[in-house]
Amino acid sequence: MKNTIQKIYLGLIFVLLYAPIVTLMVLSFNDSKTRVKWGGFTGKWYVRLFQNEQIMNALYTTLIIAFLSALIATIIGTAAAIGIQSLNRKFRTIMMGITNIPMLNADIVTGISLMLLFIAFRFSLGFSTILLAHITFNIPYVILSVMPKLKQTNKRTYEAALDLGASPVYAFFKVVFPDILPGVFSGFLLSFTMSLDDFVITHFTKGPGVETLSTKIYSEVRKGIKPEMYALSTLLFVSVLFLLILINTSPQKKENAPKKARVSKTAKAAHLIFRRVIPVTMAAILVAGGFFYGSKNKISGDNQVIVYNWGEYLDPVVLDMFEEETGIEVIYEEFETNEIMYPKIQSGAIAYDVVCPSDYMIQRMIENDLLAELNYENIPNIKNIGKQYMEQSRQFDPENKYSIPYCWGTVGILYNKTLVSEPIDSWSVLWDPQYKDNILMQDSVRDAFAVALRYLGYSLNSTDLDELEAAKELLIEQKPLVQAYVIDQVRDKMINNEAAIGVIYSGEAIYTQLENPDLEYVIPKEGSNVWIDSWVIPKNSKHKENAETFIDFLCRPDIAKINFDYITYSTPNTAARELIEDPKIKNSTIAFPQPSELEHCETFRFLGDKYDAIYNELWREIKSK
Amino acid sequence: MKSKRILSGPYLFWAVSFIIIPLLMIVYYGMTNQDGAFTWMNLAKITTPENLKALGLALLLSFISTIICLLMAYPLAMILSKINVNQTSFVVLIFILPMWMNFLLRTLAWQTLLEKNGVINGILSFFHLPSLSIINTPYAIILGMVYNFLPFMVLPIYNILVKIDKNVIDAALDLGASNFQTLTKIIIPLSIPGVISGITMVFVPALTTFVISDLLGGSKILLIGNVIEQEFKQGSNWHVGSGLSLVLMIFIILSMALIAKYDKDGEGNAF
Repeated sequence: MKNTIQKIYLGLIFVLLYAPIVTLMVLSFNDSKTRVKWGGFTGKWYVRLFQNEQIMNALYTTLIIAFLSALIATIIGTAAAIGIQSLNRKFRTIMMGITNIPMLNADIVTGISLMLLFIAFRFSLGFSTILLAHITFNIPYVILSVMPKLKQTNKRTYEAALDLGASPVYAFFKVVFPDILPGVFSGFLLSFTMSLDDFVITHFTKGPGVETLSTKIYSEVRKGIKPEMYALSTLLFVSVLFLLILINTSPQKKENAPKKARVSKTAKAAHLIFRRVIPVTMAAILVAGGFFYGSKNKISGDNQVIVYNWGEYLDPVVLDMFEEETGIEVIYEEFETNEIMYPKIQSGAIAYDVVCPSDYMIQRMIENDLLAELNYENIPNIKNIGKQYMEQSRQFDPENKYSIPYCWGTVGILYNKTLVSEPIDSWSVLWDPQYKDNILMQDSVRDAFAVALRYLGYSLNSTDLDELEAAKELLIEQKPLVQAYVIDQVRDKMINNEAAIGVIYSGEAIYTQLENPDLEYVIPKEGSNVWIDSWVIPKNSKHKENAETFIDFLCRPDIAKINFDYITYSTPNTAARELIEDPKIKNSTIAFPQPSELEHCETFRFLGDKYDAIYNELWREIKSK
Repeated sequence: MKSKRILSGPYLFWAVSFIIIPLLMIVYYGMTNQDGAFTWMNLAKITTPENLKALGLALLLSFISTIICLLMAYPLAMILSKINVNQTSFVVLIFILPMWMNFLLRTLAWQTLLEKNGVINGILSFFHLPSLSIINTPYAIILGMVYNFLPFMVLPIYNILVKIDKNVIDAALDLGASNFQTLTKIIIPLSIPGVISGITMVFVPALTTFVISDLLGGSKILLIGNVIEQEFKQGSNWHVGSGLSLVLMIFIILSMALIAKYDKDGEGNAF
């Protein structure tokens, strides 16, 4: 009886621990881009994974950092442990106290403190700062693994060796070192794992252009995790599991048994696993990574173009076609918000060649002299872009000198016809109590304020403090009704009937309708935001002509059409629109709204740093209510 | 033995450069304003209603999570410690293996499980049971904390339980103590250091997390970790962020003191 209860209890814990892991594994075989819908079984993500340079790069960075930081930490830590051991009691206590700080301190405080240090001493944040940070939090694990071993070593043997004429160094490596080796080893492996799993400290100490798996995943959360990521984690997990089973069933285990009894205090259990599983896995992965890295280096020539675009905002096929036709290699990076993109361009740490910011951010970049003038001779296909869109661009690029429209659209309400009682035409439904917990709101300052400001009849570029205060009060009033503040997850949640109403970009709306016909999109009658994302070339671009070739390529009608089919965001390319076969989409009022519908819509303008700060402050007040 | 002391030199240098000085940097930033003048204002920012609420909520949620972890982990560690010692690696395997799946992904997976039309509700409705709607509420955050930090409670307690001399327990039983008395008079008192270690290992990360609340709270629930993260990452004010971190440090120092009291060897029991 007692045994059964125990087994049930163990079983329940097991389910709790492994339910998410099984979920992730199942998702890695899901033939649908969204995680909420089962689109049939597929293995394609496993193939795509190895073609996805960004993920493979992140994996390799992660492994290199884990390996180097563990190695250096092991050397410094082992030496330190030996040194500390020989200190007198008082100093030893002090040193051990210091060692405990990174172990017990909150990750967020450790991360921040290191970031402040690096910035104060003008270290540019990047690979090396992550490495330094990881070494710092890894050393204590090594010291704490080696110390107990050192305590067990017999001082007399070491002294005997000295008496018999061995030099201290020789004696150490012959007598002491073999004894503490298991501790050194488990310290190394513990460090490796900790480094691998760290997110928070990396988040604060990383610079632009460097991604580890954790930070990559965190940045994908807003846009929806790419299924390749599930595939990668499944592979990692399964290979570790497989190695574990292999090692645990191997006969060698018995020989180790008597040794085991001597292991004590620290990592008794942990390192048994670590020291067997991880080295093998690590070796396997490093070799694989090296292969990949080697193959990648081969293609890096000078004839390239570095593209920095929104996530999921370009059909990968188009990139392949471009490379094939022009022989120019594309290096492709993604960002999630204008606000994340801007500092990277401003810092100039990476010389991007083509970037795709939104209207108000282009204005800001022009004002801060970050953009290069385009040479239209290299972009003859600009003739395909509708006149009205070039005209519209003048709001932020007065002479059309810096930007070429790529996508445009509106912000509106997506609602589920089966979950609302009447057709929706006003922002007011976002304040309707009958939809409590059924509303998804945008989790970005400007978009959220735009909704409230338009609802109140104000401009969404308002800098009037009373108007902003009123908008704030309205948003606070709305908060209890909101199910969640999200950015691109609106898409998945609406497809899955998680909510009745969501604020969404028009481009996403078309995609959601294809997946779930019950959804309908509307631009509220009070007016909304109409936006344009355009290609620009930063001033520090090193391949400006390639960049212009790239932009020109994207303006070609057939290419723009392929791209539109994939991303479903409205194209300003009128020639491409003519090519759309499906009349429903060609004449869709979501993709191509009538001018009358846009009458009350405005485009965002950059309001200056001062008002940026005010918006942010008000937004935080809302979020913390 | 003098030459050996030199070996701790590099570490001393490292510790001063990357542990002590950075902490002093936080103190410096926390105690000055943008012009570099001394101020208490950043520390006082914790008393604004928004920040107090975030701190209070973080304390409450991490406290509850710690208690739940303890209640779940103790019996678990007891059961595991009775399993044949040769299977030690198996025990650790259960708890370490999930770590090879990135913790952000594991936490995200709970979204898929908990959503209104998620996996768990699918199962519940199949059996005609009432649905569970805890996603985007503090309950989901507690679940996320318990899920992520449970191993940090189980392992230290397990490590100390397996070290208890079986003869002591046998002696107690021989001398007429009931099973229950053995538990309360012998086993629990002997395992206190492991318990304390586990509590701090769960409480500190739970108190300061911003990731779990972000992913499972629908960005609606702000904990003190989120406030600090936003002060730094959304670019507003590093001085206030540092001031708030200093306040947070008080709780961390309390935990360290607690550890120091029970762990006289200064070795830590966690791993």
